Amino acid sequence: MSDVPALAARHLLVLRRSRRTVFELRVEEIDLRSGEALAVLGPNGAGKSTLLRTLAGLERPVHGQIEQKSVAGPVTMVFQRPIALAGSVAHNVQVALLGLHLSRREARKHVEEALRRFGIARLAEQRAATLSGGELRRLALARAFALHPAVLLLDEPFDDLDAAAQDSLSLDLRRAIEDTDVAVAVVTHDLRRALLLSDRIAVLVDGRVEQIDHRERVIAHPATPAVARLVGMSNLIPGEIAREASDDLPVVTIDRDHRIPVTGDVPPGARVWVGLRPEHLKVDVGRGQGTPIGQGTVRHLVSDGLVSMVTIDWAGFELRTHLIAGRGLARTLAPGDQVKLAVRPEDVHLLPRRKD
Amino acid sequence: MDDAGLAAILRITARTLEVCFSALALAVALGLPVGIALGRRRFTGRGVLISIVNSGMGAPPVVVGLLVALLLWRHGPLGGTGLMYTKGAMVIAQVVIALPLIIGLTLAAVGSLDEDWDLQVRTLGIPPLWRLWLLLREIRLGLFAAFIAALGGILSEVGAVMMVGGNLEGETRVLTTAILMHTQMGQFEMAMGLAAVLLGLMLLLAGLLTAIQQGGRE
Repeated sequence: MSDVPALAARHLLVLRRSRRTVFELRVEEIDLRSGEALAVLGPNGAGKSTLLRTLAGLERPVHGQIEQKSVAGPVTMVFQRPIALAGSVAHNVQVALLGLHLSRREARKHVEEALRRFGIARLAEQRAATLSGGELRRLALARAFALHPAVLLLDEPFDDLDAAAQDSLSLDLRRAIEDTDVAVAVVTHDLRRALLLSDRIAVLVDGRVEQIDHRERVIAHPATPAVARLVGMSNLIPGEIAREASDDLPVVTIDRDHRIPVTGDVPPGARVWVGLRPEHLKVDVGRGQGTPIGQGTVRHLVSDGLVSMVTIDWAGFELRTHLIAGRGLARTLAPGDQVKLAVRPEDVHLLPRRKD
Repeated sequence: MDDAGLAAILRITARTLEVCFSALALAVALGLPVGIALGRRRFTGRGVLISIVNSGMGAPPVVVGLLVALLLWRHGPLGGTGLMYTKGAMVIAQVVIALPLIIGLTLAAVGSLDEDWDLQVRTLGIPPLWRLWLLLREIRLGLFAAFIAALGGILSEVGAVMMVGGNLEGETRVLTTAILMHTQMGQFEMAMGLAAVLLGLMLLLAGLLTAIQQGGRE
């Protein structure tokens, strides 16, 4: 991994006009570094694909600059719906090498290596048009990696794949990124994929980069409520910092009867959002496993067989927590039950709340 | 049928092929780039152009012949070229008939590709001429369908070539105009012979193009 960017974009403004609206993408600064993957995360319509296409040179920014700093290879992109060109799988990869002016032997070596890397060497002579969705994605990635690019831009590379195919392709892709010195940007709306693949995460909301940082920092310390929601911090409660009279520890006052303990040096009176991941909201736990924050009422339970997602009313807010399905409380809880809630102050994340 | 009759049929057949293939080559040279551009580019007035092309695909050949005749007539805008009643005039009329078919079917074939096909190929860094080759390869089924339709249209067409060619013996007489003339003169044996050659040619050429088209399907 290198700190030197392979591709750097500064002060970008991109306008996309449709019949009635103009979408505006503004990016102050974004770098793609060699040997590193940056996940671009965001809801639908946030401008993720527009950003990728701009970095690929397919959209022209109104102003700003994009500079390819690494000349070790080209900038290439794999689209959300990759095409299969007429001919065999091997031919599809070979075609991508036409611009490199390689000897026949070198080209064959590139093709074989790329197909092997993505586990489709056995399909080399098969017609590309007959590939399954997963195989076609692998072909598109093999085609891109065969170019030995300096920068690789991936637009939703796992779209429409089943979970098993997504997992297996993620692993192959992660390995390919680690084995090569390519700088990767991968657009996804799937947090789990973003975490699996990336070293850093950029969160895009409404055409703006809300946060760009190492993945652990984005997950633990989202910068805005929108980022918090996107990274799974679904419990967001508005409150105000106060001091407990008894021990002078900071708390967030939600209302007269509800407080949440927090840590750190926070100024009293500050308006904040309390961010709490579902797995950090404890239900009916013993002492020592969290600070009690009062009672809540179970509103709703839903399970996918592995995890039970429980919605609890507390202080007029709907909080969510996760329990292991089929075990302990998850087996006995029912809507209407009263439960004791607790949190650990160090699990609580505070976000500044602007005045409305 | 005597030897002279057979020799006449051969000469007429050769002239028919010469006129038809010249017209097809010109129509392909002009229509292919236009069809590709109309299929891939988005611009103001594209819809109008496509409507004109689609209307042209069904234009009556006799009307096309009339328009070309008006252009090439001695006192017409292109009368000075002296092309009227020559093979050149017949080629022009047949190009006008074949052009909408080539453009229309090419643009339909190109339009069936993915919206971002060009972008995807471009991001692979493939040089422009190779990209064009890949595009033609990708739409080859549609292209051969266009060739077959255009060739069928001009080979069997009689109204336009009669009007601008004049069916002059040894100069502008082709299979269709010869069949018409011999039928009108009651020389059914000769007309039947010519019709058999025309049908045979149609089957042979369409079969050949179809074989190439389907052979390319891996």
